[in-house]
Amino acid sequence: MTTTGTATREPRGEPTGSGFESLAEREKAVRELVARTCLTMDAYDFAGYLDLCHPDFRYTITTYSPELRKDITWLDHDFAGMETLLEVLPLHASDHFLRLVMSRHLGVYTVAYSENDTRAAVVSGLQVFNTARDGGVTELLAVAKYHDVVALEGGEAKLLVREVRLDTRMLGETGSLIPF
Amino acid sequence: MSRNATEWRRRPTLAPTHYVDPRIYTDRALFEEEREKIFKKVWSVVCHESEAPNAGDYRRCRHMSGKELLVVRGVDMKIRAFYNHCSHRGNLLAMEPSGNARRITCMFHQWSYDTRGNCVAITRQKEGYQDRVSRKDMGLREVRTEVGLGGFVWVNVDDGCGPLEEFVGDSLDYLKEELSAKPLEIISYHKAVVNSNYKLWYDTNSELYHDFLHHHNRKIALIQPGYWDRRVHVHDHGHVSVDSMECRYDAYEGNDGRQRRLGWPGGEVACHKLIDLFPTMTFILRAPAFRLDTMVPLAPDKVAIEFRGFAVKGDSAEDRAARVRDHNSIWGPFGRNLPEDEIAIVGQMMAMKGGDDSAYVLHGREEPSIQNEIGMRHYYGEWSKWMERGASDPFGNRAIAAAE
Repeated sequence: MTTTGTATREPRGEPTGSGFESLAEREKAVRELVARTCLTMDAYDFAGYLDLCHPDFRYTITTYSPELRKDITWLDHDFAGMETLLEVLPLHASDHFLRLVMSRHLGVYTVAYSENDTRAAVVSGLQVFNTARDGGVTELLAVAKYHDVVALEGGEAKLLVREVRLDTRMLGETGSLIPF
Repeated sequence: MSRNATEWRRRPTLAPTHYVDPRIYTDRALFEEEREKIFKKVWSVVCHESEAPNAGDYRRCRHMSGKELLVVRGVDMKIRAFYNHCSHRGNLLAMEPSGNARRITCMFHQWSYDTRGNCVAITRQKEGYQDRVSRKDMGLREVRTEVGLGGFVWVNVDDGCGPLEEFVGDSLDYLKEELSAKPLEIISYHKAVVNSNYKLWYDTNSELYHDFLHHHNRKIALIQPGYWDRRVHVHDHGHVSVDSMECRYDAYEGNDGRQRRLGWPGGEVACHKLIDLFPTMTFILRAPAFRLDTMVPLAPDKVAIEFRGFAVKGDSAEDRAARVRDHNSIWGPFGRNLPEDEIAIVGQMMAMKGGDDSAYVLHGREEPSIQNEIGMRHYYGEWSKWMERGASDPFGNRAIAAAE
Protein backbone atom coordinates (compact mmCIF):
# COMPACT_ATOMS: atom_id res chain seq x y z
CA MET A 1 0.00 0.00 0.00
CA THR A 2 1.06 3.55 -0.61
CA THR A 3 -0.51 6.29 1.38
CA THR A 4 -1.72 9.48 -0.17
CA GLY A 5 -3.62 12.43 1.09
CA THR A 6 -4.77 13.52 -2.37
CA ALA A 7 -4.98 11.81 -5.72
CA THR A 8 -2.51 14.22 -7.36
CA ARG A 9 0.26 12.84 -5.13
CA GLU A 10 -0.37 9.27 -6.31
CA PRO A 11 3.07 7.99 -7.40
CA ARG A 12 1.95 5.29 -9.84
CA GLY A 13 0.15 7.22 -12.55
CA GLU A 14 -3.34 6.18 -13.67
CA PRO A 15 -5.37 3.63 -11.75
CA THR A 16 -4.93 0.15 -13.18
CA GLY A 17 -7.28 -2.60 -12.02
CA SER A 18 -10.06 -0.64 -10.38
CA GLY A 19 -11.88 0.49 -13.50
CA PHE A 20 -11.81 4.17 -12.60
CA GLU A 21 -11.00 6.73 -15.29
CA SER A 22 -8.72 8.83 -13.13
CA LEU A 23 -7.05 8.98 -9.77
CA ALA A 24 -9.33 11.83 -8.79
CA GLU A 25 -12.44 9.78 -9.55
CA ARG A 26 -11.09 6.85 -7.59
CA GLU A 27 -10.25 9.01 -4.60
CA LYS A 28 -13.62 10.71 -4.73
CA ALA A 29 -15.39 7.35 -4.86
CA VAL A 30 -13.51 6.05 -1.83
CA ARG A 31 -14.12 9.13 0.29
CA GLU A 32 -17.76 9.41 -0.72
CA LEU A 33 -18.38 5.77 0.02
CA VAL A 34 -17.09 6.09 3.56
CA ALA A 35 -19.12 9.25 4.08
CA ARG A 36 -22.27 7.69 2.64
CA THR A 37 -22.08 4.79 5.06
CA CYS A 38 -22.50 7.38 7.80
CA LEU A 39 -25.21 9.33 6.02
CA THR A 40 -27.31 6.25 5.32
CA MET A 41 -27.04 4.98 8.88
CA ASP A 42 -27.80 8.43 10.27
CA ALA A 43 -30.95 8.37 8.15
CA TYR A 44 -31.84 4.85 9.41
CA ASP A 45 -31.63 3.89 5.71
CA PHE A 46 -30.39 0.37 6.40
CA ALA A 47 -31.09 -0.86 2.87
CA GLY A 48 -29.11 2.07 1.51
CA TYR A 49 -26.23 1.17 3.81
CA LEU A 50 -26.21 -2.43 2.66
CA ASP A 51 -26.16 -1.26 -0.96
CA LEU A 52 -22.80 0.30 -0.20
CA CYS A 53 -21.39 -2.99 1.09
CA HIS A 54 -19.58 -5.70 -0.84
CA PRO A 55 -21.13 -9.21 -0.78
CA ASP A 56 -18.07 -10.35 1.18
CA PHE A 57 -18.56 -7.58 3.73
CA ARG A 58 -17.20 -8.11 7.23
CA TYR A 59 -18.18 -5.80 10.07
CA THR A 60 -16.74 -5.76 13.57
CA ILE A 61 -16.85 -3.45 16.57
CA THR A 62 -13.77 -3.91 18.73
CA THR A 63 -12.05 -2.23 21.61
CA TYR A 64 -9.23 -2.77 24.03
CA SER A 65 -10.30 -3.44 27.60
CA PRO A 66 -7.80 -2.13 30.18
CA GLU A 67 -9.85 -3.98 32.79
CA LEU A 68 -9.21 -7.34 31.15
CA ARG A 69 -5.99 -6.32 29.40
CA LYS A 70 -7.17 -7.76 26.12
CA ASP A 71 -9.19 -6.94 23.03
CA ILE A 72 -12.95 -7.43 23.04
CA THR A 73 -15.12 -7.87 19.95
CA TRP A 74 -18.59 -6.58 20.65
CA LEU A 75 -20.16 -7.19 17.28
CA ASP A 76 -19.04 -9.41 14.42
CA HIS A 77 -21.09 -9.95 11.27
CA ASP A 78 -20.70 -10.93 7.64
CA PHE A 79 -23.01 -9.42 5.03
CA ALA A 80 -25.85 -11.82 5.74
CA GLY A 81 -25.54 -11.31 9.48
CA MET A 82 -25.52 -7.56 9.09
CA GLU A 83 -28.50 -7.70 6.77
CA THR A 84 -30.48 -9.73 9.32
CA LEU A 85 -29.45 -7.52 12.18
CA LEU A 86 -30.56 -4.37 10.36
CA GLU A 87 -33.81 -5.96 9.23
CA VAL A 88 -34.74 -6.96 12.75
CA LEU A 89 -33.68 -3.71 14.42
CA PRO A 90 -37.03 -1.95 14.05
CA LEU A 91 -38.63 -4.78 16.03
CA HIS A 92 -36.47 -3.90 19.02
CA ALA A 93 -36.85 -1.05 21.48
CA SER A 94 -33.96 1.33 20.92
CA ASP A 95 -33.20 4.67 22.49
CA HIS A 96 -32.42 5.76 18.97
CA PHE A 97 -35.98 5.05 17.88
CA LEU A 98 -37.49 6.62 21.02
CA ARG A 99 -35.60 9.49 22.64
CA LEU A 100 -32.43 10.07 20.70
CA VAL A 101 -31.14 10.71 17.22
CA MET A 102 -27.70 9.35 16.41
CA SER A 103 -25.33 11.23 14.11
CA ARG A 104 -21.89 10.19 12.96
CA HIS A 105 -19.17 12.75 12.28
CA LEU A 106 -16.31 11.53 10.18
CA GLY A 107 -12.89 12.69 9.09
CA VAL A 108 -10.88 10.59 6.66
CA TYR A 109 -7.29 10.44 7.85
CA THR A 110 -5.45 8.18 5.40
CA VAL A 111 -6.15 6.32 2.18
CA ALA A 112 -3.75 3.63 1.00
CA TYR A 113 -4.16 1.70 -2.26
CA SER A 114 -3.10 -1.84 -2.99
CA GLU A 115 -0.55 -2.59 -5.66
CA ASN A 116 -3.17 -3.91 -8.05
CA ASP A 117 -5.32 -0.90 -7.30
CA THR A 118 -8.44 -2.89 -6.37
CA ARG A 119 -8.38 -2.21 -2.63
CA ALA A 120 -8.14 0.93 -0.56
CA ALA A 121 -7.38 0.86 3.13
CA VAL A 122 -9.02 3.86 4.77
CA VAL A 123 -8.58 5.07 8.32
CA SER A 124 -11.06 7.65 9.57
CA GLY A 125 -11.76 9.38 12.84
CA LEU A 126 -15.33 8.98 14.03
CA GLN A 127 -17.38 10.75 16.65
CA VAL A 128 -20.92 9.62 17.33
CA PHE A 129 -23.37 12.03 18.90
CA ASN A 130 -26.78 11.65 20.48
CA THR A 131 -29.27 14.44 20.06
CA ALA A 132 -32.34 14.29 22.25
CA ARG A 133 -35.62 14.54 20.38
CA ASP A 134 -36.99 16.41 23.39
CA GLY A 135 -35.22 19.76 23.53
CA GLY A 136 -32.46 18.94 21.08
CA VAL A 137 -29.45 18.79 23.38
CA THR A 138 -26.49 16.98 21.84
CA GLU A 139 -24.06 14.78 23.75
CA LEU A 140 -21.03 12.85 22.62
CA LEU A 141 -21.74 9.13 22.62
CA ALA A 142 -18.49 7.66 21.35
CA VAL A 143 -15.08 8.31 19.86
CA ALA A 144 -13.70 5.69 17.50
CA LYS A 145 -11.82 5.02 14.32
CA TYR A 146 -13.05 3.28 11.23
CA HIS A 147 -10.51 0.91 9.76
CA ASP A 148 -12.05 0.19 6.38
CA VAL A 149 -11.10 -1.75 3.31
CA VAL A 150 -12.86 -0.55 0.19
CA ALA A 151 -13.14 -2.83 -2.82
CA LEU A 152 -12.56 -1.00 -6.12
CA GLU A 153 -13.92 -3.09 -8.96
CA GLY A 154 -15.44 -2.15 -12.31
CA GLY A 155 -15.36 1.54 -11.57
CA GLU A 156 -17.35 1.06 -8.37
CA ALA A 157 -16.41 1.37 -4.69
CA LYS A 158 -17.93 -1.01 -2.13
CA LEU A 159 -17.24 -1.39 1.57
CA LEU A 160 -15.53 -4.74 2.05
CA VAL A 161 -14.30 -4.57 5.64
CA ARG A 162 -15.16 -2.24 8.48
CA GLU A 163 -13.66 -2.45 11.92
CA VAL A 164 -15.08 0.13 14.28
CA ARG A 165 -12.28 0.51 16.78
CA LEU A 166 -13.73 2.17 19.84
CA ASP A 167 -11.93 4.41 22.27
CA THR A 168 -15.14 4.93 24.21
CA ARG A 169 -16.30 1.87 26.11
CA MET A 170 -19.07 3.34 28.18
CA LEU A 171 -21.68 4.07 25.57
CA GLY A 172 -24.13 6.45 27.10
CA GLU A 173 -26.58 5.03 29.57
CA THR A 174 -27.95 2.28 27.42
CA GLY A 175 -25.41 1.16 24.84
CA SER A 176 -26.60 1.12 21.26
CA LEU A 177 -28.70 -1.33 19.35
CA ILE A 178 -27.73 0.44 16.16
CA PRO A 179 -24.21 -0.25 14.92
CA PHE A 180 -21.87 2.65 14.27
CA MET B 1 -60.84 6.47 33.76
CA SER B 2 -58.09 8.93 34.56
CA ARG B 3 -57.42 9.83 38.20
CA ASN B 4 -57.30 13.11 40.08
CA ALA B 5 -54.48 13.89 42.56
CA THR B 6 -56.11 12.12 45.49
CA GLU B 7 -56.92 9.05 43.49
CA TRP B 8 -53.44 9.05 41.96
CA ARG B 9 -51.81 8.89 45.41
CA ARG B 10 -54.24 6.44 46.93
CA ARG B 11 -52.87 3.11 48.08
CA PRO B 12 -53.55 0.28 45.66
CA THR B 13 -56.17 -2.29 46.55
CA LEU B 14 -53.45 -4.83 47.18
CA ALA B 15 -51.69 -6.09 50.27
CA PRO B 16 -48.91 -3.64 51.33
CA THR B 17 -46.35 -6.32 50.41
CA HIS B 18 -47.49 -6.07 46.79
CA TYR B 19 -46.49 -2.50 46.01
CA VAL B 20 -43.81 -0.03 47.07
CA ASP B 21 -43.72 3.67 47.72
CA PRO B 22 -41.91 5.32 44.78
CA ARG B 23 -39.80 7.32 47.20
CA ILE B 24 -37.70 4.23 47.92
CA TYR B 25 -36.29 4.84 44.44
CA THR B 26 -35.80 8.59 44.71
CA ASP B 27 -35.20 9.72 48.26
CA ARG B 28 -31.64 10.76 49.05
CA ALA B 29 -31.85 10.17 52.80
CA LEU B 30 -33.11 6.64 52.21
CA PHE B 31 -30.27 6.06 49.80
CA GLU B 32 -27.67 7.14 52.37
CA GLU B 33 -29.36 4.87 54.88
CA GLU B 34 -29.18 1.97 52.45
CA ARG B 35 -25.46 2.58 52.12
CA GLU B 36 -24.95 2.38 55.88
CA LYS B 37 -27.41 -0.39 56.67
CA ILE B 38 -27.09 -2.66 53.63
CA PHE B 39 -24.20 -1.93 51.26
CA LYS B 40 -21.62 -1.84 54.05
CA LYS B 41 -22.97 -5.00 55.64
CA VAL B 42 -23.58 -7.66 52.99
CA TRP B 43 -21.41 -9.76 50.70
CA SER B 44 -21.05 -8.87 47.05
CA VAL B 45 -18.93 -9.89 44.09
CA VAL B 46 -16.39 -7.31 42.97
CA CYS B 47 -14.62 -9.29 40.23
CA HIS B 48 -13.64 -12.80 39.15
CA GLU B 49 -10.44 -14.65 39.93
CA SER B 50 -9.66 -14.85 36.20
CA GLU B 51 -9.27 -11.07 36.18
CA ALA B 52 -6.11 -11.52 38.24
CA PRO B 53 -4.70 -14.88 37.13
CA ASN B 54 -1.00 -14.34 37.91
CA ALA B 55 0.97 -13.49 41.02
CA GLY B 56 1.10 -9.73 41.38
CA ASP B 57 -1.96 -9.13 39.22
CA TYR B 58 -4.26 -6.50 40.56
CA ARG B 59 -7.70 -5.26 39.67
CA ARG B 60 -9.12 -1.93 40.73
CA CYS B 61 -12.76 -2.32 41.75
CA ARG B 62 -15.48 -0.21 43.26
CA HIS B 63 -17.43 -1.69 46.12
CA MET B 64 -21.16 -1.05 46.35
CA SER B 65 -20.54 1.01 49.48
CA GLY B 66 -18.74 3.44 47.18
CA LYS B 67 -15.29 2.52 48.44
CA GLU B 68 -12.44 2.03 45.98
CA LEU B 69 -10.94 -1.44 46.34
CA LEU B 70 -7.79 -3.06 45.09
CA VAL B 71 -8.01 -6.81 44.52
CA VAL B 72 -4.54 -8.34 44.44
CA ARG B 73 -3.25 -11.84 43.81
CA GLY B 74 -0.28 -12.21 46.09
CA VAL B 75 2.99 -13.93 45.42
CA ASP B 76 1.47 -16.76 47.46
CA MET B 77 -1.34 -16.84 44.81
CA LYS B 78 -3.93 -15.87 47.41
CA ILE B 79 -6.41 -13.18 46.41
CA ARG B 80 -6.89 -10.36 48.90
CA ALA B 81 -8.82 -7.13 48.75
CA PHE B 82 -7.74 -3.82 50.24
CA TYR B 83 -8.99 -0.29 50.26
CA ASN B 84 -7.30 1.31 47.26
CA HIS B 85 -6.15 4.01 49.57
CA CYS B 86 -2.65 5.00 50.64
CA SER B 87 -2.15 4.96 54.39
CA HIS B 88 -0.15 8.18 54.20
CA ARG B 89 -2.32 10.92 52.71
CA GLY B 90 -5.28 9.00 51.36
CA ASN B 91 -4.37 9.04 47.69
CA LEU B 92 -5.63 6.39 45.32
CA LEU B 93 -2.93 3.74 45.06
CA ALA B 94 -3.73 2.01 41.78
CA MET B 95 -5.02 4.26 39.05
CA GLU B 96 -5.09 1.78 36.18
CA PRO B 97 -8.08 -0.59 36.07
CA SER B 98 -5.70 -3.56 36.19
CA GLY B 99 -2.04 -4.41 36.12
CA ASN B 100 0.76 -6.40 37.66
CA ALA B 101 3.10 -5.30 40.41
CA ARG B 102 5.06 -7.00 43.18
CA ARG B 103 5.01 -3.72 45.04
CA ILE B 104 2.24 -1.18 44.95
CA THR B 105 3.74 2.28 45.19
CA CYS B 106 1.75 5.43 45.71
CA MET B 107 2.62 7.94 43.02
CA PHE B 108 2.31 10.86 45.45
CA HIS B 109 5.11 10.33 48.01
CA GLN B 110 6.30 6.85 46.97
CA TRP B 111 5.11 4.85 49.95
CA SER B 112 5.11 1.17 48.95
CA TYR B 113 3.10 -1.90 49.92
CA ASP B 114 3.57 -5.56 49.16
CA THR B 115 0.85 -7.87 47.86
CA ARG B 116 -0.14 -8.83 51.41
CA GLY B 117 -0.88 -5.20 52.22
CA ASN B 118 2.22 -4.64 54.35
CA CYS B 119 3.78 -1.21 54.15
CA VAL B 120 7.32 -1.96 52.99
CA ALA B 121 8.75 1.47 52.26
CA ILE B 122 8.29 4.98 53.58
CA THR B 123 10.47 7.47 51.79
CA ARG B 124 12.84 9.29 54.16
CA GLN B 125 11.11 7.59 57.06
CA LYS B 126 13.82 8.14 59.66
CA GLU B 127 14.40 11.76 58.69
CA GLY B 128 10.73 12.67 58.71
CA TYR B 129 9.18 10.58 61.44
CA GLN B 130 12.20 9.52 63.53
CA ASP B 131 10.70 6.62 65.54
CA ARG B 132 7.17 8.02 65.77
CA VAL B 133 5.73 6.14 62.77
CA SER B 134 6.38 2.49 62.09
CA ARG B 135 5.82 0.69 58.77
CA LYS B 136 4.13 -2.14 60.63
CA ASP B 137 1.35 0.25 61.66
CA MET B 138 0.89 1.65 58.16
CA GLY B 139 -0.41 -1.40 56.30
CA LEU B 140 -3.36 -1.26 53.95
CA ARG B 141 -6.91 -1.80 55.15
CA GLU B 142 -7.74 -5.38 54.20
CA VAL B 143 -11.37 -6.34 53.81
CA ARG B 144 -13.07 -9.70 54.24
CA THR B 145 -12.57 -11.59 50.99
CA GLU B 146 -13.53 -15.04 49.83
CA VAL B 147 -12.98 -16.61 46.43
CA GLY B 148 -15.48 -19.25 45.46
CA LEU B 149 -18.88 -20.31 44.16
CA GLY B 150 -17.57 -20.18 40.60
CA GLY B 151 -14.31 -18.37 41.26
CA PHE B 152 -15.93 -15.05 42.06
CA VAL B 153 -14.20 -12.64 44.39
CA TRP B 154 -16.66 -11.89 47.19
CA VAL B 155 -16.05 -8.99 49.51
CA ASN B 156 -17.64 -7.66 52.66
CA VAL B 157 -16.32 -4.42 54.15
CA ASP B 158 -17.85 -5.26 57.53
CA ASP B 159 -15.19 -7.11 59.53
CA GLY B 160 -17.91 -8.47 61.79
CA CYS B 161 -20.03 -9.96 59.03
CA GLY B 162 -21.20 -13.56 58.96
CA PRO B 163 -19.70 -16.12 56.59
CA LEU B 164 -20.34 -15.93 52.86
CA GLU B 165 -21.92 -19.40 52.84
CA GLU B 166 -24.55 -18.25 55.29
CA PHE B 167 -25.38 -15.19 53.20
CA VAL B 168 -25.69 -17.14 49.94
CA GLY B 169 -27.45 -20.08 51.56
CA ASP B 170 -28.86 -22.50 49.02
CA SER B 171 -29.60 -19.84 46.42
CA LEU B 172 -26.72 -20.79 44.12
CA ASP B 173 -27.30 -24.55 44.40
CA TYR B 174 -29.36 -24.29 41.25
CA LEU B 175 -26.18 -23.35 39.35
CA LYS B 176 -23.82 -25.50 41.40
CA GLU B 177 -23.02 -27.94 38.59
CA GLU B 178 -22.46 -25.23 36.03
CA LEU B 179 -20.31 -23.15 38.36
CA SER B 180 -18.15 -26.05 39.43
CA ALA B 181 -17.88 -28.40 36.43
CA LYS B 182 -15.01 -26.35 34.97
CA PRO B 183 -13.38 -23.08 35.97
CA LEU B 184 -14.90 -19.95 34.50
CA GLU B 185 -12.92 -17.36 32.58
CA ILE B 186 -13.96 -13.79 31.91
CA ILE B 187 -14.49 -12.92 28.25
CA SER B 188 -16.29 -9.61 28.34
CA TYR B 189 -16.59 -6.58 30.55
CA HIS B 190 -18.35 -3.30 30.20
CA LYS B 191 -19.90 -0.74 32.46
CA ALA B 192 -22.84 1.60 32.18
CA VAL B 193 -23.65 4.51 34.44
CA VAL B 194 -27.40 4.73 34.24
CA ASN B 195 -29.53 7.56 35.54
CA SER B 196 -31.80 5.34 37.56
CA ASN B 197 -32.12 3.70 40.94
CA TYR B 198 -30.23 0.46 41.44
CA LYS B 199 -33.33 -1.35 42.71
CA LEU B 200 -35.09 -0.71 39.42
CA TRP B 201 -32.37 -2.70 37.66
CA TYR B 202 -32.71 -5.46 40.22
CA ASP B 203 -36.50 -5.39 39.80
CA THR B 204 -36.12 -5.77 36.05
CA ASN B 205 -33.77 -8.69 36.48
CA SER B 206 -36.12 -10.43 38.86
CA GLU B 207 -39.47 -9.93 37.13
CA LEU B 208 -39.84 -11.82 33.89
CA TYR B 209 -43.10 -10.05 33.05
CA HIS B 210 -40.89 -7.68 31.09
CA ASP B 211 -40.06 -10.41 28.58
CA PHE B 212 -42.77 -8.63 26.60
CA LEU B 213 -40.26 -5.81 26.15
CA HIS B 214 -37.72 -7.89 24.26
CA HIS B 215 -38.25 -9.02 20.71
CA HIS B 216 -35.46 -11.54 21.28
CA ASN B 217 -37.03 -12.99 24.44
CA ARG B 218 -40.49 -13.06 22.93
CA LYS B 219 -39.23 -15.18 20.08
CA ILE B 220 -36.90 -17.57 21.89
CA ALA B 221 -38.90 -18.01 25.09
CA LEU B 222 -42.20 -16.26 25.63
CA ILE B 223 -44.02 -17.93 22.77
CA GLN B 224 -42.26 -21.27 23.21
CA PRO B 225 -43.40 -24.41 25.04
CA GLY B 226 -42.33 -24.59 28.65
CA TYR B 227 -42.10 -20.87 29.23
CA TRP B 228 -45.21 -20.61 31.40
CA ASP B 229 -44.36 -23.78 33.33
CA ARG B 230 -41.37 -22.09 34.95
CA ARG B 231 -41.58 -20.90 38.51
CA VAL B 232 -39.84 -18.30 40.64
CA HIS B 233 -38.31 -19.59 43.88
CA VAL B 234 -37.33 -17.57 46.91
CA HIS B 235 -34.37 -18.27 49.16
CA ASP B 236 -33.19 -16.97 52.51
CA HIS B 237 -31.74 -13.46 52.68
CA GLY B 238 -33.80 -12.07 49.78
CA HIS B 239 -32.33 -14.19 47.00
CA VAL B 240 -34.39 -15.54 44.11
CA SER B 241 -34.00 -18.18 41.41
CA VAL B 242 -36.00 -18.89 38.27
CA ASP B 243 -36.61 -22.28 36.64
CA SER B 244 -34.89 -23.05 33.37
CA MET B 245 -36.35 -23.88 29.99
CA GLU B 246 -34.95 -24.87 26.64
CA CYS B 247 -34.76 -21.65 24.67
CA ARG B 248 -35.60 -21.82 20.96
CA TYR B 249 -32.75 -19.72 19.70
CA ASP B 250 -33.45 -20.62 16.10
CA ALA B 251 -36.73 -18.71 16.35
CA TYR B 252 -34.93 -15.38 16.52
CA GLU B 253 -33.90 -14.02 13.16
CA GLY B 254 -30.50 -12.80 14.25
CA ASN B 255 -29.19 -15.91 15.95
CA ASP B 256 -26.43 -18.06 14.62
CA GLY B 257 -27.71 -21.63 14.86
CA ARG B 258 -24.22 -23.07 15.10
CA GLN B 259 -23.23 -21.28 18.28
CA ARG B 260 -26.49 -22.17 19.96
CA ARG B 261 -25.79 -25.89 19.78
CA LEU B 262 -22.97 -25.31 22.21
CA GLY B 263 -23.99 -25.98 25.80
CA TRP B 264 -22.34 -25.37 29.13
CA PRO B 265 -20.54 -28.02 31.20
CA GLY B 266 -22.92 -29.34 33.81
CA GLY B 267 -25.93 -27.74 32.13
CA GLU B 268 -28.41 -28.36 29.37
CA VAL B 269 -27.99 -27.00 25.87
CA ALA B 270 -29.97 -23.77 25.46
CA CYS B 271 -30.84 -23.66 29.15
CA HIS B 272 -31.76 -20.37 30.77
CA LYS B 273 -31.10 -20.13 34.49
CA LEU B 274 -31.37 -16.94 36.47
CA ILE B 275 -30.46 -16.15 40.07
CA ASP B 276 -30.78 -12.76 41.74
CA LEU B 277 -28.80 -12.17 44.91
CA PHE B 278 -29.83 -9.43 47.30
CA PRO B 279 -29.14 -6.57 46.97
CA THR B 280 -27.24 -5.91 43.74
CA MET B 281 -26.28 -9.06 41.80
CA THR B 282 -27.70 -11.23 39.05
CA PHE B 283 -26.29 -14.45 37.61
CA ILE B 284 -27.68 -15.54 34.25
CA LEU B 285 -26.71 -18.65 32.34
CA ARG B 286 -28.20 -18.73 28.90
CA ALA B 287 -26.01 -21.39 27.40
CA PRO B 288 -23.56 -21.05 25.81
CA ALA B 289 -22.84 -17.79 27.64
CA PHE B 290 -22.85 -16.75 31.27
CA ARG B 291 -23.44 -13.22 32.55
CA LEU B 292 -23.00 -11.54 35.90
CA ASP B 293 -24.41 -8.11 36.75
CA THR B 294 -23.08 -6.25 39.76
CA MET B 295 -24.04 -2.75 40.77
CA VAL B 296 -22.48 0.18 42.53
CA PRO B 297 -25.28 2.54 43.52
CA LEU B 298 -23.92 6.08 43.18
CA ALA B 299 -26.94 8.16 44.13
CA PRO B 300 -30.68 7.58 44.37
CA ASP B 301 -30.94 8.27 40.67
CA LYS B 302 -27.59 6.97 39.44
CA VAL B 303 -26.12 3.50 39.36
CA ALA B 304 -22.99 2.03 37.83
CA ILE B 305 -23.76 -1.43 36.47
CA GLU B 306 -20.89 -3.73 35.62
CA PHE B 307 -21.57 -6.48 33.11
CA ARG B 308 -19.28 -9.47 32.92
CA GLY B 309 -19.42 -12.32 30.45
CA PHE B 310 -17.87 -15.71 31.09
CA ALA B 311 -16.77 -18.74 29.13
CA VAL B 312 -15.28 -22.01 30.27
CA LYS B 313 -11.56 -22.22 30.87
CA GLY B 314 -10.00 -24.63 28.41
CA ASP B 315 -12.55 -24.05 25.67
CA SER B 316 -11.45 -24.86 22.14
CA ALA B 317 -10.83 -21.76 20.05
CA GLU B 318 -14.03 -22.45 18.14
CA ASP B 319 -16.15 -22.81 21.29
CA ARG B 320 -14.62 -19.75 22.85
CA ALA B 321 -15.37 -17.68 19.75
CA ALA B 322 -18.95 -18.94 19.81
CA ARG B 323 -19.43 -18.02 23.47
CA VAL B 324 -17.94 -14.56 22.96
CA ARG B 325 -20.08 -13.93 19.91
CA ASP B 326 -23.18 -15.19 21.64
CA HIS B 327 -22.64 -13.20 24.82
CA ASN B 328 -21.79 -9.94 23.13
CA SER B 329 -24.43 -10.13 20.42
CA ILE B 330 -27.14 -10.38 23.08
CA TRP B 331 -25.67 -8.84 26.23
CA GLY B 332 -22.88 -6.57 25.02
CA PRO B 333 -23.34 -2.81 24.71
CA PHE B 334 -24.42 -3.37 21.10
CA GLY B 335 -26.45 -6.46 22.00
CA ARG B 336 -30.04 -7.21 21.11
CA ASN B 337 -31.26 -7.42 24.65
CA LEU B 338 -29.38 -5.39 27.24
CA PRO B 339 -29.94 -1.82 25.96
CA GLU B 340 -33.69 -2.43 26.01
CA ASP B 341 -33.66 -3.16 29.74
CA GLU B 342 -31.58 -0.06 30.37
CA ILE B 343 -33.96 2.16 28.42
CA ALA B 344 -36.83 0.93 30.57
CA ILE B 345 -35.24 1.82 33.90
CA VAL B 346 -34.09 5.19 32.59
CA GLY B 347 -37.68 5.89 31.60
CA GLN B 348 -38.92 4.82 35.02
CA MET B 349 -36.57 7.24 36.76
CA MET B 350 -37.43 10.09 34.41
CA ALA B 351 -41.08 9.59 35.30
CA MET B 352 -40.52 9.10 39.04
CA LYS B 353 -38.26 12.06 39.75
CA GLY B 354 -40.01 14.22 42.28
CA GLY B 355 -41.13 10.88 43.68
CA ASP B 356 -43.61 12.17 46.25
CA ASP B 357 -46.12 12.66 43.48
CA SER B 358 -45.57 9.38 41.74
CA ALA B 359 -47.99 6.52 41.94
CA TYR B 360 -47.21 3.43 43.97
CA VAL B 361 -45.17 0.88 42.05
CA LEU B 362 -46.93 -2.45 41.74
CA HIS B 363 -45.26 -5.78 42.45
CA GLY B 364 -48.50 -7.63 42.73
CA ARG B 365 -48.68 -10.36 40.08
CA GLU B 366 -49.45 -13.72 41.65
CA GLU B 367 -50.05 -15.91 38.62
CA PRO B 368 -48.58 -19.40 39.01
CA SER B 369 -45.93 -18.92 36.35
CA ILE B 370 -42.60 -17.31 35.64
CA GLN B 371 -44.36 -13.95 35.63
CA ASN B 372 -45.29 -14.17 39.30
CA GLU B 373 -43.70 -11.14 40.96
CA ILE B 374 -42.88 -12.96 44.15
CA GLY B 375 -39.19 -12.29 43.49
CA MET B 376 -39.62 -8.55 43.90
CA ARG B 377 -41.87 -8.99 46.93
CA HIS B 378 -39.26 -11.24 48.53
CA TYR B 379 -36.57 -8.66 47.81
CA TYR B 380 -38.52 -5.84 49.44
CA GLY B 381 -39.27 -8.04 52.41
CA GLU B 382 -35.53 -8.42 52.93
CA TRP B 383 -34.94 -4.75 52.22
CA SER B 384 -37.48 -3.85 54.90
CA LYS B 385 -35.68 -6.02 57.45
CA TRP B 386 -32.34 -4.34 56.86
CA MET B 387 -33.85 -0.87 56.67
CA GLU B 388 -36.30 -1.36 59.52
CA ARG B 389 -38.94 0.26 57.33
CA GLY B 390 -41.71 -1.03 55.15
CA ALA B 391 -41.13 -0.49 51.45
CA SER B 392 -44.76 0.45 50.89
CA ASP B 393 -44.67 3.24 53.46
CA PRO B 394 -41.03 3.92 54.38
CA PHE B 395 -41.72 7.17 56.22
CA GLY B 396 -45.04 6.25 57.74
CA ASN B 397 -46.57 9.41 56.38
CA ARG B 398 -48.31 8.48 53.18
CA ALA B 399 -51.67 8.12 54.78
CA ILE B 400 -54.09 8.11 51.92
CA ALA B 401 -55.76 4.77 52.38
CA ALA B 402 -56.91 2.31 49.83
CA ALA B 403 -60.32 2.84 48.36
CA GLU B 404 -62.98 0.85 50.10
